[in-house]
Amino acid sequence: MEEDIVDFALKYAEGKGVEYAEARAQSQQRDQLVFRSGILEAYTSAVDSGFCVRILAGGGIGFASTNKWTKEEAKAIVDLAFKHAKAAGRKDKIVFAKEKGVETKWSVTQKRKLEDVSPEERIATFVDIDKALASCGVKLPATVSQCMIDLISKYFVSSEGSKISSFVPKMQVYSFITVAEEGKTEQAYKQFGYSGGWEAFKEWGIAESMIHDARVLKDVITKGKAVKAGDMDLVCGPNVTGIAAHESCGHPMEADRIVGREMSQAGRSFIYKGGPYWLGTRIGSDVVTVVDDPTVEHSYGFYAYDDEGLKARRRHLYKNGLINEFLQNRESAAKLGMKGNASSRSVNYDREAIVRMANTFVLPGNHTEEEIIEDVKYGVFMKSFTEWNIDDKRFNQRYVGREAYLIENGELKDPIARPVIETTTLKFWSAVDAVSKKIEYEAATCGKGDPGQGIPVYTGGPCIRLRGVYVK
Amino acid sequence: MNDVMNKTEEIVKKAKSLGADEVLAKTTYGRYRQVRFSNNQVDITVAWNDYTTDVTLAWKRRLVGTTIHDFKGVDSGLANLMELAKVSKENPMFGGFVKGKFRYATPKPDKKLEELENPTDYVFEAIEAAKKETGPDIDSGGILLTRYEDVYLASSEGPVGVDARSAIEFSIRAFAQREASGHSVECSSTLKDFKPARAGTKAGQLAKMAKNPKVGDEGAYDVIFDPLIFGSSLGTWGGMASAYSILIQMSVFVNKLGQTVAPKIVTLRDNPAAYAMGNRVFDDEGAPARENVIIDHGVLKGFLHNNSTAKIFKTETTGNAGLVAPNAWNIEMDAGNVSKDELFKDTKKGLYLTNTWYTRFQNYAKGDFSTIPRDGIFLIENGEIKQSIKDLRVSDNSAAMLNNIAAVSKERQHVHWWGEADPPSLSPYVLIKNVHLTKSK
Repeated sequence: MEEDIVDFALKYAEGKGVEYAEARAQSQQRDQLVFRSGILEAYTSAVDSGFCVRILAGGGIGFASTNKWTKEEAKAIVDLAFKHAKAAGRKDKIVFAKEKGVETKWSVTQKRKLEDVSPEERIATFVDIDKALASCGVKLPATVSQCMIDLISKYFVSSEGSKISSFVPKMQVYSFITVAEEGKTEQAYKQFGYSGGWEAFKEWGIAESMIHDARVLKDVITKGKAVKAGDMDLVCGPNVTGIAAHESCGHPMEADRIVGREMSQAGRSFIYKGGPYWLGTRIGSDVVTVVDDPTVEHSYGFYAYDDEGLKARRRHLYKNGLINEFLQNRESAAKLGMKGNASSRSVNYDREAIVRMANTFVLPGNHTEEEIIEDVKYGVFMKSFTEWNIDDKRFNQRYVGREAYLIENGELKDPIARPVIETTTLKFWSAVDAVSKKIEYEAATCGKGDPGQGIPVYTGGPCIRLRGVYVK
Repeated sequence: MNDVMNKTEEIVKKAKSLGADEVLAKTTYGRYRQVRFSNNQVDITVAWNDYTTDVTLAWKRRLVGTTIHDFKGVDSGLANLMELAKVSKENPMFGGFVKGKFRYATPKPDKKLEELENPTDYVFEAIEAAKKETGPDIDSGGILLTRYEDVYLASSEGPVGVDARSAIEFSIRAFAQREASGHSVECSSTLKDFKPARAGTKAGQLAKMAKNPKVGDEGAYDVIFDPLIFGSSLGTWGGMASAYSILIQMSVFVNKLGQTVAPKIVTLRDNPAAYAMGNRVFDDEGAPARENVIIDHGVLKGFLHNNSTAKIFKTETTGNAGLVAPNAWNIEMDAGNVSKDELFKDTKKGLYLTNTWYTRFQNYAKGDFSTIPRDGIFLIENGEIKQSIKDLRVSDNSAAMLNNIAAVSKERQHVHWWGEADPPSLSPYVLIKNVHLTKSK
């Protein structure tokens, strides 16, 4: 990364009489291993390095990027971004919420550096996982594992005087298994993610997790029964609580959706000015507090400063059941007359930073998981989910159980095959009456933006109990 | 241009001299321009340039790859790659890169898309067209994207080629009310055939029809799929036709080759033709890209292959590499023999769905999935649209829906939208019987 070229780009942009300019560089070393049924299909290792400029001029925004590291190219992209900003021809001029410039450096520590782990050891780790799977006593006609190891350096400068350097090592593993028993199949996927070093592998327990899923799927095929549809209590495991928090709290609280900036692709929100839901409106029970927190150390969605140079902090999105604080970037904050809160993220130098979640989860309550289940006469424990989706106003959602059990008189009974909850955001969060003390995070890649920007996040959270919801 | 080709070939030679058994190098010079708009105004114009060479080499069946930027650090990059190959692990399923010298079709890119002047004019043209349909209060958003790529490919196994690929796509979502929207797209490989007002008009018409929606009823319906939403299904089936999807069980077509998977009116092809956004003259191994029949009059005829998957399936490459996974480039469904109007006229009771998002599978091999229709959803009674509907979800099975196709329109549209209707397709209006819709309780 040639910081002098990035500084030059900013200086050149400032010379054009802009309202605001920033230059952001990213250099990302990515090693990727792709395994199919224990075979290493390919091992790729590459550095992607480039820089962008974003210019606010004449009330319009222009953005341009390149991976050619020359001053001539820097001038060319500034000229292009400036031209496009001026050509926007907006009636309502865009402004950014003002912030003080920051000069800092930050990084994520590693107990064992990813750079120090040889390709042989990386490969051997997955070969061992495959061996363990192959001997777990479940028929697996196909498994897929992908591992991505990233070393991400960024350099950000802005016309407000910011100069921020960062280094984040990141690692993720994605696994997908198919179980075949009695002529039927079931499938499961799982993602692991971490900001930090190789120590994550021990904490993850990938082989144990995949073997657990394989055995669960076998049980679903051989013992799973359909639930008798009706109103009942539903206990959601951290995996299900997490996806619900992400989809029906995190996303609708993104201010760019609320102001309509994402209306064509990711959609809008059920929350909008003049509508039935706004700041202070009740959306859940008193025990529901959902936060988005980029500062969870070593989390997959960790950052200390966002991609607009703002210091990260925890945001209380739903607080004791009330809509409390939106996720903002500087553009949305200015439009709503609010303050930015460091939610602007970009996946690479060639993508505009937009409003994103980091780590979204329900804050823990005061019950044990056992207490939550003990107090259910008849219901379902949906420990994990498979198929899921939500509409683009983020109100009608569906989660289908992957690992699920019947609860009778406070005890877990037989496995349930594919139970479904299909309900609204209001009904889901209003039905929650108990939250567990213990939290388990889950890694995920959140999709948004066009071109798509898959961004690392944590979901997960505590167990929660919903009273009297329709399960089929 | 020759200089770029020479440098690309030089990389192949250097890697060979370092001991690689087989080498592929593909240099792409890409220019991408995008205008994003919402609330009827331009939010941002984005431009990104890309100068990359993807290098893949095989050594004793160990497959490794890297990316070189702007031809900087070629020697060290290749040396590192060879080192990586030597400590990597054999892939016994690697069948080698495609071999031979090929004559490729002449690329027909539109040079006007290399650097489009005033792209925002196209956006405003479409917004005005939408307003004309629905009135000045319409609220619209979307994107205009242009792509121009020069591609140079060299392989140690014979293929050498130059391609130029151009595309323009426009997507507009227009709101007549908070919950009344229409979405339409306009996709082409050339500016000449690109008519953004057409998308604006259709989005505006759908938004107007979608006013005052009522929550729909659960149940099984005969459903007319608009080309945009059907493009999403075509993308799913196209992806499931990749031989790699078969190998990893992410397909309803596992063990179905040669079997009837759809009615006779269904013929599906992959065709990276010149008109299509997915146009190309060769694949990522240098095999000529070509038309391939996937489903022929209801019978599953073939999968999409690179050279390695072809060897596993004891056939030949179809020109769809992807180095690990073969890809569909542009799915075409053959036109049917009824008009769009007849399709509606013949529907006594059913739904008309126009767009969808968030398609997710429980089990790709079984095909159980759900997806959420968005924008206009309409109840049809006695051949006419009776009511705008909202808040329904398609919860069905992908194999069953393919098998339940009852009619295909003569009219087809080239569609692509975000990750939802992807890869691009040539998509008709289609009637599917007995589609299950569910809703929140």
